[in-house]
Amino acid sequence: MATNPMHQFEVYRMGPEINLGGINLSFTNASFFMLVSALLVLSLLFFGTKKKSLVPSKIQLITEMSYTFVAKMINDTAGSSARSYFPFIFTLFMFVLFSNMIGMLPYSFTVTSHIIVTFALAAIVFIGVTIIGFMKHGIKYLELFVPKGVPVVLLPLIVIIEIISYLSRPVSLSVRLFANMMAGHTMLKVFGGFVISLGLLGGWLPLGFSVALTGLEILVAFLQAYVFAILTCIYLNDALNLHH
Amino acid sequence: MKKLKEISTRLEIAKKKNKNNEQKNDGSNAASFGKAMKISTELVASVGVGTTIGFILDDWFDTKPLLIISFFFIGTVAGILNVFKSAKRMHKKQKN
Repeated sequence: MATNPMHQFEVYRMGPEINLGGINLSFTNASFFMLVSALLVLSLLFFGTKKKSLVPSKIQLITEMSYTFVAKMINDTAGSSARSYFPFIFTLFMFVLFSNMIGMLPYSFTVTSHIIVTFALAAIVFIGVTIIGFMKHGIKYLELFVPKGVPVVLLPLIVIIEIISYLSRPVSLSVRLFANMMAGHTMLKVFGGFVISLGLLGGWLPLGFSVALTGLEILVAFLQAYVFAILTCIYLNDALNLHH
Repeated sequence: MKKLKEISTRLEIAKKKNKNNEQKNDGSNAASFGKAMKISTELVASVGVGTTIGFILDDWFDTKPLLIISFFFIGTVAGILNVFKSAKRMHKKQKN
């Protein structure tokens, strides 16, 4: 059981079973770790902004760095008109980052290694960006699907292609995060299993690989949160400034 | 006051060092890895979306193999277009 590399992704119930109208709403380990990462982000921001000293303490430094990091990212990719969406993108980035990083701790559960979680996040972004685009430009937002300077004969085909390319955004956004996290954690577990099965004689090589892969996974955990946030900024930019 | 001054000079030196490092690290491994992941999933995702749309439309209109085949190819074209667009965006960014 312990050597099964997929065992770590199992969702199980914690506490009593809750059934609401045929929908299973029980509290699971996935909900628990989502709660933990949300609480960690909250407490980091709470304690980081409590004492505003000129020479920052470590926790204040981390808070200020994450703030400027996201603010700079929004400014660079979506322009100053996207400033008002900073709270949303900051929340998204910090939640994904903390979920990924908590998953790197032994005996924990990686929330983002389940496609339903990442797809829900991507769907929020997709629907939100579409609503923002329609609110800002009205029916003219549909011009996004009609590139300029295309001959009329090709237009129906191009519009279909553009629509598919637009619809593929949430899929690529969610699959990227989920596949990266799941593949990485499975690989770590497989190499960990090699260490046990090869024993004291041959286990040293996979052990080294395990250490190296852990480093790589921490890099991937940060990078995927960053990519998720930056793509949200790019989509927001498309919705806010129609002709780019 | 003296301490503050000392800190500010040290900060300036650190910033300068940081700037030099940043210039050296432009196009580092981590950033390229992120770009590669982004482009590859974009290529695959729209093929999947196109095929799914074809499958659903086939069910609606009862034209079993026809629409799924054509939407598979349209999805592939959309994927290539996606990659083309993001490559263009990267190029523009590098020029600035």
